[in-house]
Amino acid sequence: MVNPLDSLSEEMDELVEGFASTAVRGDLTVGLTQYTFWMFVAIAILLVVVFVFKKKQAQNGLAPKGRFVNGMEFLVEYCRDDLCKGLLGDTWRKHFPFIASVFFFILFNNIVGVIPGCKPGTGCIGTTAALALVSFVYFIVVGMKSKGVIGYIKSLAPAGVSFPMNALVWVIELFSTFLRLVTLAVRLFCNLFAGHVVMGTFAVLASLFVIPLLQGFSVQALGQAGASVFWIAILLVIYAVELLVAAIQAYVFTLLSAVYIQLAESEEH
Amino acid sequence: MGVIGYGLGVIGAGLGIGLAAYGATSSMARQPEVQGRLFTVFILASAFVEALALIGFVVTLIA
Repeated sequence: MVNPLDSLSEEMDELVEGFASTAVRGDLTVGLTQYTFWMFVAIAILLVVVFVFKKKQAQNGLAPKGRFVNGMEFLVEYCRDDLCKGLLGDTWRKHFPFIASVFFFILFNNIVGVIPGCKPGTGCIGTTAALALVSFVYFIVVGMKSKGVIGYIKSLAPAGVSFPMNALVWVIELFSTFLRLVTLAVRLFCNLFAGHVVMGTFAVLASLFVIPLLQGFSVQALGQAGASVFWIAILLVIYAVELLVAAIQAYVFTLLSAVYIQLAESEEH
Repeated sequence: MGVIGYGLGVIGAGLGIGLAAYGATSSMARQPEVQGRLFTVFILASAFVEALALIGFVVTLIA
């Protein structure tokens, strides 16, 4: 009787390799990988959803009806009230388009990625690094606009610290500002990647434990198939957690972008 | 070895997120009306803690 766990490490290597970007069209420098393909799918879905929402909202007049329109309105209002008004204060109107588009882009990418057979556009480091770079440039430009270039660079160090410590704190703050770029990208990428690896592991376990039963019937093989049902149950639980993570990570990325914008804009720091 | 190192790194992050959740739940129990704002702060704090654990995850994969 073979132990199904013997071949687990090979299967795991194959699983992790399956997450690497491969070119569908062209090559890896200029071309379409599976992640960018699903990113375009998510963008297309997002565009359709937004335009249908706008049309239906205009038809209904001021009182929205139906699950779809109300659901979308809930999302937009959550983004507006919780992320923009709650954090940014008076200048929320200026930043709302940026915040909302980042939120919806990441949310739709994450949700498309959770569907079995699809890949998340945000599940490769390139997409998340680009998003983080956009957010990074945005908050720096906002800071430089509100305080002036020199003023923003000076404002990295908190006021009220005397001279020699001032320079040290400034260097540390400069470092942590650039670290924001890295952590924004890595957080989103890793949450998606790690979540999908965990789901894949339990799917691999479920299939490995069913193989002995397919090769020939015996009591032990039946017992192992019973264990496979247990793995599938865990897989379903993790799938539910991943749905939650998809929403929370979109929220976290947007929340952090809003916090950074608010920090760049605020006078006292 | 890398996997053991990742496990060690996660101990700290786990403690950190646990402490954040502890503070959030106990203050929500004391003052249910600040729930909305506390949730935002809690998510923000756990995002910072989580970043450390995720950097460990990346280093494990690279090394």
